[in-house]
Amino acid sequence: MTSTPALFLDHESLVPLIEELSKTLEVVAPVYAEGEPVFATWKGEALALDADNPLNSPVEFFLPQKEVLFKYVQYSGRYTFSEEPPKSRLILGMRPCDLQAIKVLDEIFGTELSDHPYTSKRKSTIIVAMNCTSPGKGCFCASMGSGPAAKEGYDLLLTDVGSGYLVESGSPAGMFVLRANSRHFEEASPEHLKEKERRLALAEEEIVKRRLALTPEQIREAIDETDWEEVERRCLRCGGCSLVCPVCHCFSVMDRGVPDGERLRCRDTCTLAGFSRMTSGANPRASLGERLRHWYLDKFVYIPEKTGMLGCVGCGRCSRVCLSDVDRWSILREAIE
Amino acid sequence: MEKIHTTCVYCGCGCGLYLHVEDGQVVGASPSPAHPVARGRLCVKGWLAHDFVHHPDRLKTPQIKRGERQVRASWEDALSLTAERLNEIKEESGPDALAVLTSAKGTNEENYLLMKLARAALKTNNVDHVARLCHAPSVAGLGASLGSGAMTNSIKSLLSADAILVTGSNTTEQHPLVAAHILEAQSRGATLIVADPRKTQIAQLADIHLEPCLGSDVAWTNGILNLIIERGLADEDFIRDRTEGFSVLRESILKYTPEVVERISGISPEDLEKAAVAFGEAPRAAVVYAMGTTQHSNGTDNVLALANLILATGNVGREGTGICPLRGHQNVQGACDMGALPTVYSGYQKVEDPGAREKMATAWVTDLPSTPGLTAVEMMEAAEVGRIRGIYISGENPMMSYPDRDQVKRALESLEFLAVAEIFPTETTALADVVFPVASFAEKDGTFTSTERRVQRVRQAVTPPGEARSEWEVAADLMKRLGIEADYTSPKEVMAEIARLTPPYGGISYQRLGISGLHWPCPDPDHPGTDILHRESFPIGRAKFFPVEHLELEVDPEYPFLLTTGRSLFHFHTGTMTRRVHLLDREIPRPAVDINPEDAAALGVRRGQRVLVESREHSLEIEVDVTGVVPKGTVFIPFHFNEAPANLLTVQNLDPKSKIPDFKRTSVRIRRAD
Amino acid sequence: MSKESLKMEMGLHSSTLAHKGTDKKVCRYVPLQAEVIDIDVESSNTYLISLRPLDEEDETVRIDYSPGQFLMVSVFGLGECPISIASSPTRDPLQICVREAGKITQGIMASRVGDVMGIRGPFGNGFPVEKMKGRNVVITGGGSGFATLRSLINYIADNREKFRDVTVAYGARTPQDLYFTSEYGSWQATGIEVGITVDMMDASWKGNVGLVTSLLADLNPSPGTAALCGPPMMINAVAKDLVNRGFLKPEIYISLERHMKCGVGKCEHCTMGPYHVCTEGPIFSYDVVGDLL
Repeated sequence: MTSTPALFLDHESLVPLIEELSKTLEVVAPVYAEGEPVFATWKGEALALDADNPLNSPVEFFLPQKEVLFKYVQYSGRYTFSEEPPKSRLILGMRPCDLQAIKVLDEIFGTELSDHPYTSKRKSTIIVAMNCTSPGKGCFCASMGSGPAAKEGYDLLLTDVGSGYLVESGSPAGMFVLRANSRHFEEASPEHLKEKERRLALAEEEIVKRRLALTPEQIREAIDETDWEEVERRCLRCGGCSLVCPVCHCFSVMDRGVPDGERLRCRDTCTLAGFSRMTSGANPRASLGERLRHWYLDKFVYIPEKTGMLGCVGCGRCSRVCLSDVDRWSILREAIE
Repeated sequence: MEKIHTTCVYCGCGCGLYLHVEDGQVVGASPSPAHPVARGRLCVKGWLAHDFVHHPDRLKTPQIKRGERQVRASWEDALSLTAERLNEIKEESGPDALAVLTSAKGTNEENYLLMKLARAALKTNNVDHVARLCHAPSVAGLGASLGSGAMTNSIKSLLSADAILVTGSNTTEQHPLVAAHILEAQSRGATLIVADPRKTQIAQLADIHLEPCLGSDVAWTNGILNLIIERGLADEDFIRDRTEGFSVLRESILKYTPEVVERISGISPEDLEKAAVAFGEAPRAAVVYAMGTTQHSNGTDNVLALANLILATGNVGREGTGICPLRGHQNVQGACDMGALPTVYSGYQKVEDPGAREKMATAWVTDLPSTPGLTAVEMMEAAEVGRIRGIYISGENPMMSYPDRDQVKRALESLEFLAVAEIFPTETTALADVVFPVASFAEKDGTFTSTERRVQRVRQAVTPPGEARSEWEVAADLMKRLGIEADYTSPKEVMAEIARLTPPYGGISYQRLGISGLHWPCPDPDHPGTDILHRESFPIGRAKFFPVEHLELEVDPEYPFLLTTGRSLFHFHTGTMTRRVHLLDREIPRPAVDINPEDAAALGVRRGQRVLVESREHSLEIEVDVTGVVPKGTVFIPFHFNEAPANLLTVQNLDPKSKIPDFKRTSVRIRRAD
Repeated sequence: MSKESLKMEMGLHSSTLAHKGTDKKVCRYVPLQAEVIDIDVESSNTYLISLRPLDEEDETVRIDYSPGQFLMVSVFGLGECPISIASSPTRDPLQICVREAGKITQGIMASRVGDVMGIRGPFGNGFPVEKMKGRNVVITGGGSGFATLRSLINYIADNREKFRDVTVAYGARTPQDLYFTSEYGSWQATGIEVGITVDMMDASWKGNVGLVTSLLADLNPSPGTAALCGPPMMINAVAKDLVNRGFLKPEIYISLERHMKCGVGKCEHCTMGPYHVCTEGPIFSYDVVGDLL
């Protein structure tokens, strides 16, 4: 939905631009923390835009591992409540897979009754996405239709075309940022646009060639064929697959403090027994195997039914963090091949 | 949001993780991809390591006991009262009426300073910590046979093993990241042998699962070695060149024939044979063990038997081999290294060695006591009879973690002065005269030394809650009040002193540690660290074989069940932290005793019903979980829960060689509670 | 670029959720406060608590709900859990029936008259009362599930003329575990047939002993619509029994219980196959959930 001509940003102009932006809002970007790329508040350190997509997805800026829903204060038997307003943020370098995940979450959290803590953060955040011209080793976004090129949902979109970034705007907010900082940009040439297409085609080819993932249809078939008891036997129950998944959004709610305190919510995982267990002790998904099966069913059957979009964006993080060293996709592949 | 790279606070794996910090609050954790053990992964406790940090239960102000109540006090009052009372007791009854229990949860710098506090300021060697209750037999056993009680190889080294024997370790639950390495080795072709009476997850994943009955470890280990030697699978070159005492050992184990082993342990001759061949034939074989080996009244013998096995097969000093005692706490190795033990200074320099004593006394500008001190459990005994009158406890919870809770309570209550430094109120702080609120791992700088001797950075992510302080500051302050110079401005300075006085840490400095840390021994600033010990020689020259015999234990027909204790995946130790982590507490909210289905049927109990578990002295009411994980005749209770403290039942049946209590085998009987 | 102008742009025009509009109903998770105005002991471990929802000025707020809906009820410091509404929208006050199960329910039951608790809701779909009108209705349940059925029974009793034959079949473990015993007479007075049974009788008990299914056999209700709530085993047995009696699966409505945290279909705890029990339920027809029970 590029509605203005694409612009071009020198590699060298990126830092001055975000310096400018960080005067008005918190700029979040992949930076190196002790040598590894992580999404964190940019404070002038070297950017890790060329590194692999960080292990922890920037979805945490909309759905943090832990956040305060509201504070409660008791005074003579009655309570008063207070909520923190969201921060104005700009996230730089969000990859197409994570962008697609946010699109799915927008649908889930934005549907009535919409989830205010999520949507308020979404509305106060500008997303500067970056197309994947050198995909990571475990990525299979192309199989899930979420990358390596971002299609929509960004405010601005960068593509590294070698000499600099091609910059496209995807929203009025994005255009506003471009206009307000126009001195950093120049007009993009047709060569820049061509180079973008060339690089993304190469990236897509590379991902498809690896054949890391099955098609969604094959996966649905494989879920039925998989020996979930065997997966249960191997699973070391860390919950990491849910905690890194940019589409996973299960949360739990807890209170901390009497008489005054906070109601918090924290990321949760449906792989834990306590997730579905009721206080009576009855558990509708009693075995770990059933819960792991549910994890896949949700992504490939239930979320698509609800949102029209896959619940997997092919970022490959669940395999990267799997403590049992179970390649999440090879389990399924074995089941049908 | 900032992301601070630090080291996990739970088990000895020592995983690197990021703490996510937003507006001065730790709001998340994620694994470190570049960390050599974590490799971008964490166990469920690690993923949730952030959740207890800002819990409202955190201790935020010092407390002093006034009458029966603990009341809020200033740091000045709490510190001066502590210094005063410790001094008084020292004047009246001599320094050995005092003791210090340090913490395997504290940093190296804190353990070092508390050790120095005990020795230099209080003038007593009565300093110990929880290692007494976990790996004292490793220190005693491996110290005697190999010359060092530490894990010989790195965790990564397990990846290149051809056979791995795991015994007395519920690795998948207690050291998940070590388990991940073991299972990766298995998937690359290594044979995994697990000896455990319980059908733990790793036992179920094993190629060979030996199910010995409790207390038969020496017998089956000797039996395996006997078969290995008989088959000509022993490493004769290694035995000849690098060990001594083999012929006596050879003689001593001849009687452990497969038939005898079967009678003692219940392991079939076929299974024993399979295990012996797999281990004996492997070019590189490693042994991994933990509390199931050490926490017995013959724990040291169990360790020696395993040491004999790796020595006779030449599995020492190479990648993929070795003996790996897995440490329970993230810094129990470091606390030992720092000399938080009654017999040694940092770096295992003996207090009885005049040279070592002179060196430390000079550095600390004071005189030092020469007689070794009391061990943790001995301290409790001494306290009960009034020989110890004052104790400083740093971050330990003896009321939950020591055997025979009643005796510990009597001991702590009979003290004239008890100071406890903690992050949360515990069963132990409840008895204290002074409580110091201290910083958690997220709130301080320092180093932890993991189970594989890896010295790693702990980095401060947020400030401590309320008035809480880092314990290195508390220790330094008390030292100053007791007349010892301690003008440290940061843990980094403490590490510089440690490096100066501790040969294996000689080359360690914060600048060098980065993400991966360094394996000690690292004697000088240019030394790359030592991931595999004993490559060329042993610290004691030749390694020694120690013949060990099976100890026949009586079975009391009145108490026909054997109770074994331990931990679960979702909780850590006495639950001080994990029971305050929302998802972990939800996963296992209540204690339960695991009973085999056959036993449950015979007792007429079902899952969820309540039973009384009775030892000779005590009884405990607890919910039943019926599970095939425990064999018939054995029951299991985790010791995380104060509403059913497993250690009410355990007894102080000490291993004579290491003074470790037998947590793993207590005779009990069971009946329905209604 | 000024902060203000940027915020304007972001608020109005960011790509963010633009397609979702801005005027839809939102869930902020901040509860209303409700004052406890009365507590009735229904059984040794169950209280019927009457509530007065309050606005910020401490004035009474009306909560519109229908039978079968639930509230997220919280005790600050302990947390929040789903509790079905036990009162009928035709009568004041708003009532919840709380059975001691975990920490939060213990906390709710520890409240005294005058205390406040948090409530959010009502959530869930409720029973399809409009579809039940003009039809025979069988209401059957056991255990604590009877609380939500009481809401429906009182609703029907207050609109009695709109329904045909109405039969209540209710079972509890012991006579002491029976809820709302003082109301059975008033239900019967409106022409509702009421059958009660217990699993274990005591000396004072003169009624039926046995399963709800055998009670149904005695009552022999004519087919129509049915409302069920109770332990899973009982629901399964009763639903099958009703089908055998000629009830159509789409007309057997079952109220389900699940672990819930949000009440608005986001947290995923209550999912059952593709359904969110909190938003698409808790009332499901037997043809939809029969295979998932």
